[in-house]
Amino acid sequence: MIAVLGLVVGVVAGLLVRPEVPAAVEPYLPIAVVAALDAVFGGLRAMLDGIFDDKVFVVSFLSNVVVAALIVFLGDKLGVGAQLSTGVVVVLGIRIFSNAAAIRRHVFRA
Amino acid sequence: MSNQDESPENPLRKELPEEVPAAPAPATPTEESPAEPRLTGRRRLVKGLWPPRVSRAQLIVALLLFGLGFGLAVQVASNSDNDSALRGARQEDLVRILDELDDRTQRLEDEKEGLEKQREELENSSDQAEEARKQTAERERQLGILAGTVAAQGPGITMTIDDTKGTVEADMLLDAIQELRAAGAEAIQVNGVRVVASTYLTDSGKSVSVDGNKITAPYRFKVIGKPQDLEPALNIPGGVVQTLEKEQATVVVERSDKIVVDALRAAKRPDYARSSSQ
Repeated sequence: MIAVLGLVVGVVAGLLVRPEVPAAVEPYLPIAVVAALDAVFGGLRAMLDGIFDDKVFVVSFLSNVVVAALIVFLGDKLGVGAQLSTGVVVVLGIRIFSNAAAIRRHVFRA
Repeated sequence: MSNQDESPENPLRKELPEEVPAAPAPATPTEESPAEPRLTGRRRLVKGLWPPRVSRAQLIVALLLFGLGFGLAVQVASNSDNDSALRGARQEDLVRILDELDDRTQRLEDEKEGLEKQREELENSSDQAEEARKQTAERERQLGILAGTVAAQGPGITMTIDDTKGTVEADMLLDAIQELRAAGAEAIQVNGVRVVASTYLTDSGKSVSVDGNKITAPYRFKVIGKPQDLEPALNIPGGVVQTLEKEQATVVVERSDKIVVDALRAAKRPDYARSSSQ
C-alpha cells in the first residue's frame, strides 16, 4: 500500500514541481524510466508468485536503471545512440509484456 | 536486467539461478499468514495492498517507486511541452526547420523594410502637404492685405487733408493715392474705406465718393509703407501737398511706427476673369 502511495506521490510531485531536466541527464531519463518500469513489473510478478524480496527488488531496480542509462550513454559515444536505445526499449518492452502476462495469469487466472 | 522475474514456471528465464534461494518465503511478512499457508496470487495482492503496513521493505519500495513516478511525470511533462517537440527531432529535420525559419525571417525583414519605406514616404508627403498648406495660408494673408480682405498693421504715415473751402476734388485724392502707391504704400484706407486695386473715386457734389461711399472732409489717409519713402513722396516740390495747399486745403503728414488699417472689403469673385495658371 505504501509502495503504491509512493508511486502516486511521485507522479503528483513530478507534475506539480515540473523541474527542468538537466541536459546531461535528458537522453537517459526515458530509458531509465522504462527500465524501472520493467523492474516494477518483475517485482509485482515475484510478489504474486510469493517470492518477493525487497533487497532483490532494490538491487534489480537500481541496476536496471544504471545499466539502461549506461547502454544509451555508450551508444551515444559510439554514434549508435538512437538505434541502441531503440533496442533497449524493445527488449525491456518484451520483458514487461511477459511479466504482465504472468501477472495476468495470477490475477485473472486466464 | 531485472532480477525479479525468477519465476519457476517460466522456462525461458534460466539465468540468475541464485535469485531463487534469495527470495525465501517470509520475504514479505504480509503475504505469509500462518492461517493460510497456500495463498493464491490474487489473495497475496489484496493482502499486500489493503492493510497498510509500515515496514522497511515497504518504505524502500515506496521510495524507489516515488523516484519512478517522479521521473515518469517529469519525462511526460517535458515531452508534452510545445518547445520540446524539437528535442526529439532529427538533425535533418532541425536543419530544415531552421532554414524555413531563416526564410521566414528574411521575408518578414523585407516586408518590414518596405513598410518602413512607405511610412517614411507618407511622413515626408504629409510634411510637404503641411508646408504647402502653411505657404498657402501665408500667401492668402499677403494677398488678403492687397485685396483688402484682412486688416493690416505696420509702420507708415497718416495724412489729414482738411478742406474747409470744399475745393478738393476726386482727382486730387486720386493723385495722392497714386503718389502713395508709387512710393510703395502697401495698404491704404481713406475715412474708413479700404483702397484696393479696383477702387474708384468720383465727385459727388461738394464731397467725394470712394467706391460709392461718400466721404467728407477732413480726409484722413492711413497708409502702411516705409515712412521715409512715403513722406518725401508727398512733400516733393510740385507734388501732392503743394498742389492741395494751392487749393487752400491744409495737409498734415505724420509718420507713425504703428498704423492700423482695419477697414475691410469683401472678397469679390470676378465674373469673367479666370486664373490662367492652372
